[in-house]
Amino acid sequence: MPGIWMRLKELIRTTRLDGELDEEMRLHLQLMEEDFRRRGMTEEEARAAARREFGGVAYAKEAYRDQRGFPWIESCAKDVRYALRGLGRSPGFTAAAVLSLALGIGANTAIFSLFHTLMLRMLPVAHPEQLVAIHRTGGWGIGTVSAPLYRLIASRTDLFNGVAATNGVAKVRFTTHAGERDEFAQREYVSGNYFQVLGVQAVAGRLFTGDDNRVPGGHPLAVLSYDLWRNHFAADPAVLGRTLLVDEQPLTVIGVAAPGFHGVAPERRTDVWVPFMMAHFVQVMNPNSWWLMPLGRLRPEVSRPRVQAALALLMQQHLRTIYGERHDSAMRRKALEQRVEIRPGSVGLSMLRDQFGKPLGVLLALVALVLLAACTNVANLLLARGAARQKEIALRLSLGATRGRLLRQALTETLLIAAAGSAVGIGLAAWGVRVIAGFLPEQAGNPFSIAPNLTVLAFTIAISLASALLFGLGPALRSTAINPIAGLRSGGLDRAGRPALRRVLVVAQVAFSVVLMALAGLFGHSLLALRSVDLGFRNQSAITFNLDFPRLWKGNSRAAQEPLLSSLAATPGIYSVSSAFPGLFSGGSSDATVRVPGSARTATEPVDVDRTYVSPRYFETVGAALKGRDFDRNDTAASPKVAVVNQAFVREFLPGEPHPDSRWLSFDDTKPEGGERTFIVGVVQDIRQDGIQQKIAPRVYVPLTQHQDLDFPPDILVRTALPQAAVQSLVRRQLPRIGAGIAVTEWATIRQRIDDSIFEQRLLAMLGGFFGVLALLLAAVGLYGVMSYGMARRSGEIGIRMALGARRADVVGMVLRDALLPVAAGLILGFPLAWAAARAVHSLLFGIEAVDPAAFGGTGAVLVAVALAAAFLPARRAASIDPMRALRHD
Amino acid sequence: MSTREIKTDILQGTLDLMVLRTLATMGAQHGFGLAQRIQQISGGMLDLNQGTLYPALLRLEHRGWIRSRWGISENNRRAKFYEITAAGRRQVEKESEDWARTVAIMDRFERLTETE
Repeated sequence: MPGIWMRLKELIRTTRLDGELDEEMRLHLQLMEEDFRRRGMTEEEARAAARREFGGVAYAKEAYRDQRGFPWIESCAKDVRYALRGLGRSPGFTAAAVLSLALGIGANTAIFSLFHTLMLRMLPVAHPEQLVAIHRTGGWGIGTVSAPLYRLIASRTDLFNGVAATNGVAKVRFTTHAGERDEFAQREYVSGNYFQVLGVQAVAGRLFTGDDNRVPGGHPLAVLSYDLWRNHFAADPAVLGRTLLVDEQPLTVIGVAAPGFHGVAPERRTDVWVPFMMAHFVQVMNPNSWWLMPLGRLRPEVSRPRVQAALALLMQQHLRTIYGERHDSAMRRKALEQRVEIRPGSVGLSMLRDQFGKPLGVLLALVALVLLAACTNVANLLLARGAARQKEIALRLSLGATRGRLLRQALTETLLIAAAGSAVGIGLAAWGVRVIAGFLPEQAGNPFSIAPNLTVLAFTIAISLASALLFGLGPALRSTAINPIAGLRSGGLDRAGRPALRRVLVVAQVAFSVVLMALAGLFGHSLLALRSVDLGFRNQSAITFNLDFPRLWKGNSRAAQEPLLSSLAATPGIYSVSSAFPGLFSGGSSDATVRVPGSARTATEPVDVDRTYVSPRYFETVGAALKGRDFDRNDTAASPKVAVVNQAFVREFLPGEPHPDSRWLSFDDTKPEGGERTFIVGVVQDIRQDGIQQKIAPRVYVPLTQHQDLDFPPDILVRTALPQAAVQSLVRRQLPRIGAGIAVTEWATIRQRIDDSIFEQRLLAMLGGFFGVLALLLAAVGLYGVMSYGMARRSGEIGIRMALGARRADVVGMVLRDALLPVAAGLILGFPLAWAAARAVHSLLFGIEAVDPAAFGGTGAVLVAVALAAAFLPARRAASIDPMRALRHD
Repeated sequence: MSTREIKTDILQGTLDLMVLRTLATMGAQHGFGLAQRIQQISGGMLDLNQGTLYPALLRLEHRGWIRSRWGISENNRRAKFYEITAAGRRQVEKESEDWARTVAIMDRFERLTETE
């Protein structure tokens, strides 16, 4: 390919080559002249003859240059320079176009990057498409199975080429040497065949096998992620065989997994894998402990429905063996109602996806609409610009420029705008992703890939190109389709045609705005409805935290933290201190089966109730009204058992009882009349324990002091006027007095926890509102532009009307009618679309109907008001036209 | 303008072959020399705009059939000399065959008209 090299050189050395060609041709002409003179011509004649024989020098040079280098690159470069000059001349237009595109592209990139991570990205494992998640529904916890059930499933080699299991990822303490300062690592308990089933290789050492996960507590082994190995151990192979302290378990490192593999949850990145037989927080082989998530590799010849049917049968048989003989039918029914569901596993296992998948889909649709609105806006701006440049275009056409060439230049301009828009948009996306990340609760993980992602980049480039085509092609065709003569004569304003295309664009903009505004209204109203739910407690600003004790404190931790709690309670500015398990909005749960003697409901069988362990002054600390007495120091393990129940409990089991505190219940559910008595000492209002949308259920509060056997650390609650930081430093100062190695975790106010529990709704309302206002602004700008242009075009006509006696009010009315026509069309088009969109997002709304009068009415009112405002300025300008000047100007 | 265009159009395909043939038999030439030779060989029957030679030379060079280098002409002036490459010689062979075939075919058609 000598040609390409030569052309490349020609591309770079244009000036030098031009000189050489000049020299060559000059010599040629000289030699010709000399030749002619030798044949007897005069100098003059010889020069003329030489010129004639040679032909046009300029023509030859042009033909030569056209062949040189890569002609299309050079003419493209010329187009780019021309477009840049043009854009530089109208900075206002350029900024508006680039900014609106950047907002559209940025929003799409941000949401898509999240969507891609959570919903689309295949696990970096062998044949991810063969993987299925085996998800339990109903019963307790989310999606998990017990270890015995997992073994049963894994034994079905007729269905699977292996089934792995994981306990999910947890942040745990981690040290390389005993006594060193703790760091934190993401630990995942997995089955022995985990890496084999996924087809993940070791980069150093070896990975687990089935034999590494046989005996509970018998396999103190760890596999590190490549990232941890590289960042923490400098990729030192000597780490193999060393012992690390992970969550206080001494584990021997046996290998490092392949780079790029971070476990099976897209929003988390595992650092350390440990055989699940080492799990210490659960009785590993207990069939009542639901804690493992199976991920199976389907045999290629087995269909999903067959697996579904086979596992459903297996599950029922298993549940009947475990729970069939249980005496309390409530428990038995709940257990037997559990089902199993086969889900695609190619994109991994994600709790965040289950919760956030649908809102994310809605957000993706929202931002697509925003991009459409932005494109419409830019198309509108381009049309306005094309109209303003009609004279220039007409001149160039009449000077011999072809329409193709002008089209190419126009498209070059749009591509430049799109490129600038995507560049700014990617920056906005980086910022937007941080904003969205701020909405996600900390425990939800981090679904944002740290490295720039090629798929996301390709997506951004694709949507930019698509938008450039969308907004650029129409205006380009339109602005170059003019008759040069008429264009020049009309002095730059095409009087013949009405700006119909621009009006259509305004209609589209209004329609987009209607949909976006209506959705914003729906999400906003829904959030308001959520916020106005009575939670049953007032002190949302109470501060809550948790003390994480090293395991050797087990059993003594609660007594150990007493001094801290009393010293906090004695601090001025702190009103009350209490503790509870499960804490408010903590995601924890505890339940019990009880008998309520005298209640018809529990006469034949016990009932399932929620249970909260609390210390004294809990109700005061959270601000809930209590009738009866609170727990106090005299409620000890030795004193009669006591409980406080909520109003729902009374409604369900003691309806019409004027003195519930004269009754008792029993946690001994074997006999209808109960066993040991637990006396009801108070009734508290219904507190929403763990979610605004949660159904209120009967709940029993029992004093922590009477239940010393509780393993879990309770959440500590502080009601105070002090800022959170002050309480934090108080606690930090006290901690060393209790003992070493105690960590404070989960600092938050109850309000923050409530916010976290409705982050999807908050995110939808915030982003929906932002995009709605954005679309509205774009529509207003579009309408204003069209109106102003229309006025400029019609100033002559208006002048005549006024000269003929039209009053100012008539003119304003006429102009406003003109403006409101496309707005009305947009509204008529937009509302059915908005209605369809509202139906689609119905399941995400709380407390309002899809056709919410407030949201839809508000949308209409706001749009009309904004349209009037956008049209009013041009209308006023039209009305103040001086007829004489307008006519003379023509 | 229009006559010139027609002329060059007719020449376009054949000019390449003329240049290659001339360079193949005469050795390295500068632009003027090459034009002179082509005029001479055509016996003055070819009315060539000599300027059009240069785009043709560039085209042939891009295809790797000729190469150029700066040198000194017979009367001591700096000039760019063109010479044929091995690929160019192969091309001459090929095109000459094609040309002969075309001529032969056209010839048959000419005779067809004569007999009727």
